[in-house]
Amino acid sequence: MSYLTPKERLLIPTYDNDVYATTGRVVIDIDACNGCGMCVKICPGKALFLSGDEKNRKARMEEVFPQCMSCNDCAAMCERDAISVAVTYDFGYFFKPLHHGPLSPPRKFEE
Amino acid sequence: MESDPVEKEPDVNADWNPVEQVILERRSVRSYKKKQVPEGTVRRILEAGRFAPSAGNCQPWKFIVVRDRDMIDEMERDVVRLCKLVKLLMDWRTSPLGRTIPLLLTRVSARLLPNLLHPIPFGAICLVADGKLKVFHGSPTLILLLKDKRGVSHPDVDIGCAGQNMVLAAHSMGLGTCWVGFVMLLKVGPKWKRRLGMKYPYTISEGICLGYPVGNPDGMISRETQEVEWFEDGAKKTVY
Repeated sequence: MSYLTPKERLLIPTYDNDVYATTGRVVIDIDACNGCGMCVKICPGKALFLSGDEKNRKARMEEVFPQCMSCNDCAAMCERDAISVAVTYDFGYFFKPLHHGPLSPPRKFEE
Repeated sequence: MESDPVEKEPDVNADWNPVEQVILERRSVRSYKKKQVPEGTVRRILEAGRFAPSAGNCQPWKFIVVRDRDMIDEMERDVVRLCKLVKLLMDWRTSPLGRTIPLLLTRVSARLLPNLLHPIPFGAICLVADGKLKVFHGSPTLILLLKDKRGVSHPDVDIGCAGQNMVLAAHSMGLGTCWVGFVMLLKVGPKWKRRLGMKYPYTISEGICLGYPVGNPDGMISRETQEVEWFEDGAKKTVY
């Protein structure tokens, strides 16, 4: 089990400093994306947007500090499975995640 | 009889039981159709909440159902107005008050309220203030969960149990839900306190949007595994 150091406990980071904070990040399979925009519509952090002309519209992620909370709602919504979370959010110091392991879909285990 | 020599791709979703299936596939829904949910269905969902466990069977929840479009819109407007005020005072990046004072205010407030001013809700406040993020997502029905402060032990936990029961029941019926913590801003000022009967011992705790989802937002996803300390037979191990 890991804990916070006294310094980490005292340091509440401001939110847009990428020196110690990482936001969530999704990867979009541009070939599979059909630009329907459902992920953009439902993203709670408005971290996604549509770009490109009418025939070639694709979802993309904001480059500068996207407010992605790695909820994966976009992945669940996408009918073409073109999108998934690659990096989960970590604001560092006081807000640093302590007991999280790697990403995994629901699992079953042997009896 | 011999089994089929051609092995079929195993369906990983096949052998979750129906309860697990609903739990694992539930996602927060942030886009709703205008179509209203039948009254009987909402009442049935409230029944799921009524039968949630609570400390000492104290049932410290009071449900308020709002199905009045104008009233939901009015709540949304008032929440947005408050978010605009918070953004004006505290968003050092955009505030017309300059950078120093808002940044100082944010730093002090985040120390006093580290949960409410966590970067995620802080970002959401700014998005709501800018009109980019909806509060109730256009849902036709809103269930408010009020807490009876006199509840046994930890009434907030009981509210969570009742709410999650309702959310899971709703998803099992093909409906969508989203928890809305922003309803706590309705506590600010006398207007909604009076209208929603929020006087001692009642206080607003959470809100749940309810409606028919646009598209198919439910489904299984990946999520972080959790470190679990496991004590057994005099030994300890860590599993994920």
